Amino acid sequence: MSLKREVDQFANPPRWLFFSPTLEHYYEAFVIQSFVQYLITSAIVAVASTACALVLGTLAAYSLARFELPWNLDRKLSLWILSTRMFPAIVTAVPLFLMMRDLRLLDTRLSLIIVYTGFNLPFVVWMMRGFFVEVPRDLEEAALVDGDSRLGALWRVVLPLVAPGLAATAVFCLIVSWNEFLFALVLTQTDQAMTLPVGIAGRVTQYEIKWGIMSAAGAVAIIPILAFALVVQKYLVRGLSLGAVKG
Amino acid sequence: MQKLTRSFNASSRDLLFATLLVTPALAVLVSLSIYPLLYSIQIALQTDGPAGPTWSFANFSRLAGDNFFLAAMAHTFIYSAFALTFEFVLGFALALILNSTIRGQRVFRAAFLIPMMIPPVVVGVVWRLMLNPNFGAVNGVLRQLGINTEQLTWTASPRLALAAVIAVDVWQWTPFVFLVLLAGLQAIPQEPYEAARVDGSNAWQTFRHVTLPLLKPAILIVLLLRTMDLLRVFDQIFILTEGGPGFATETVSLYIYRAAFRFSDFGYAAAMSFVLLIITNLISAIYIRLLQSREGVA
Repeated sequence: MSLKREVDQFANPPRWLFFSPTLEHYYEAFVIQSFVQYLITSAIVAVASTACALVLGTLAAYSLARFELPWNLDRKLSLWILSTRMFPAIVTAVPLFLMMRDLRLLDTRLSLIIVYTGFNLPFVVWMMRGFFVEVPRDLEEAALVDGDSRLGALWRVVLPLVAPGLAATAVFCLIVSWNEFLFALVLTQTDQAMTLPVGIAGRVTQYEIKWGIMSAAGAVAIIPILAFALVVQKYLVRGLSLGAVKG
Repeated sequence: MQKLTRSFNASSRDLLFATLLVTPALAVLVSLSIYPLLYSIQIALQTDGPAGPTWSFANFSRLAGDNFFLAAMAHTFIYSAFALTFEFVLGFALALILNSTIRGQRVFRAAFLIPMMIPPVVVGVVWRLMLNPNFGAVNGVLRQLGINTEQLTWTASPRLALAAVIAVDVWQWTPFVFLVLLAGLQAIPQEPYEAARVDGSNAWQTFRHVTLPLLKPAILIVLLLRTMDLLRVFDQIFILTEGGPGFATETVSLYIYRAAFRFSDFGYAAAMSFVLLIITNLISAIYIRLLQSREGVA
């Protein structure tokens, strides 16, 4: 669709293959309209929130996977963390909007980064906890005996072993942040902080829909996702089921 | 071995280390989920009067008499029930069929990844285009098959719109059910099946007494995750129909969104989101109870 001229788009019967391809919609979407800016915002927000969630989540996951806290606290905390992920997004969207308004963070990329970090954190904790549990403890023991500190053992011994899992988790966070719509819709108002999904949606609800431009923007939004999806194929089921089913 | 376990049981230094590692993540989660929840309780219970804010249950009592809210609830449940049923039956059937044939699984996997990874907004746009009564691909194909499509206006027709948004969700999420259940099936060892064969049980008995019980955790997890996602559905419907035509596909999430961000009625929106939260919590509690009744999965 994004490659079709408008004459061909509305042809009846539909023209599937025999149309003259054009790149004008990509040009219009990304050069004339502000889709380039949406794309940049989407990328920044996705990468920054993924990085924050990974650091915080991985440390917490390691702690919950390895140490037995008093009163079964490790288990209770894990379940509580999971339950925050089950909230319907709209429930927190209303108070978070008001909080961001009070903090004067509305319509900034920072607000989205903060919210997405919180959104991805439970997922990172659960995924990484599963990967850490699978690493035999003897390896860290050996490092500790060799005089490594706990943090040193985590950094030099355990993290390299869970690196594939860490990468898969990161990719999932990137996908979630990239695709997220509701918070981005609620927390942003102008082009300066809008992400790609909000930019696309804003064009749909207008009276006349420019299908060619929409499809061009849609295609660009899908491409990184497809590339990522292929990378995490092996961990897909595990990731989508929050680490519950090991595919 | 003794030394090994001891060093991982909490000595006070390890306890400190463990606590230090968890605290930042907990702080973020508390400020981004617990605090907002408490905040929204406050918004829901406070109404601004002439003499400053007063506390009352006005927003909650208004809910019971709001036919639009009740209708949005009904749409949400119809949507969730139908989508969940179709996704589960189709996904399970596919998993059972493909579990026995090894060939082609990788291709299927890769192909199935696509719908559920695409941004929901893009899914909405693509389907809005395909379902367009005049130049959309769906009616285009039907016309070429010689079917009269004049009545099939899909998202513009009050009767078909809900069916259309359900169909889109089924298209997008059946692969997820399929992939999780397939992974569950492949994790079942061969021995119980051999035992069943030795005992001379037929295919149905094997399915009923071997496959189903062993697959129960995967089934419950898939149902839990899908139910939670379906009850809070927003993105695709927002793009596909904007809740319309009229009110035909308005779900609770959309109604809350409209109350808060179109009409700035934050108190009422917060009250409604509480009802939604309680309902989803009750449902997930039932699933989790069922899960734990079998064994400690977690």
